[in-house]
Amino acid sequence: MKMIVTKPQHDVTTRYLSAWAEEVIELAEEKGVDVIELLREKANKKEFESRVNKLSPRLIFLNGHGSDECVTGHDNKILVKSGENHEVLVGKITYALSCNSAKILGTKVAQEKDTAYIGYADEFIFMAGSECIRKPALDPKAKPFMEASNQVMISVLKGHSARESAERSKNIFRDRYIKLLSSNTDQDSLQAAQYLWWNMRNLVCLGDGDVTA
Amino acid sequence: MDNQTDNILSDEEVRKLVLARLSVLSPDVIVSLGSDGSFTRDQLVESVERGDRVGEKLAEIQMEWLRSFKDGVMV
Repeated sequence: MKMIVTKPQHDVTTRYLSAWAEEVIELAEEKGVDVIELLREKANKKEFESRVNKLSPRLIFLNGHGSDECVTGHDNKILVKSGENHEVLVGKITYALSCNSAKILGTKVAQEKDTAYIGYADEFIFMAGSECIRKPALDPKAKPFMEASNQVMISVLKGHSARESAERSKNIFRDRYIKLLSSNTDQDSLQAAQYLWWNMRNLVCLGDGDVTA
Repeated sequence: MDNQTDNILSDEEVRKLVLARLSVLSPDVIVSLGSDGSFTRDQLVESVERGDRVGEKLAEIQMEWLRSFKDGVMV
């Protein structure tokens, strides 16, 4: 099985997403998945389309910014867009860790057979600590957000269906939400809880939820 | 905001609530709000005071979150 992971790294957000994607990549490699990483400038439309068409990966893990209609790669250049090249995601399980893209792009892709699109119907928000900005994978403020998000791909890699994987991710969001909500030792915990709740609420699985890797 | 929300709090009250919540954040916190960018606590406070897109989004999240308690629905 093959998996393509996009890892743009042009700003704080994309550097965090890329760093935390390593947890998923490590698990995939442990399970014998052939992982193709599109790092920094390689996370561009031409390279992405070329690799997907040539390798036909079953799994696609998009890390980047997004809008209702698209997910972007390095330097916020469009990687995949509804009505333009969305068919590149047909027949695959895609997890888009980006804002908003489930609204139109995900809905469009999910109309196709044997296809699932897991993503967010609104903004994906996370907290970070400025002292960890150069070592994002060690940032305790980002940890509950990224652990919950990563659960989508971890569950898919463990053989769960797309729908189950989204639900298992929501469960982690819920668990971290309740822990932060009941914390009285961290002055940022209530705001962090609110943003976890928002991400949990906007995480959706579209298309054929029964598909597995 | 819809009528139901308007019945709970006015826009000005929501703004004050969001500002109160943000003011207790630690100064080193950064919030990533997707393609809008990453913001420090003070930048978020300025956005809410200005009422720009980021400030409006924070107010929307605050209100939806409060409504979830009222409705008793987590998701």
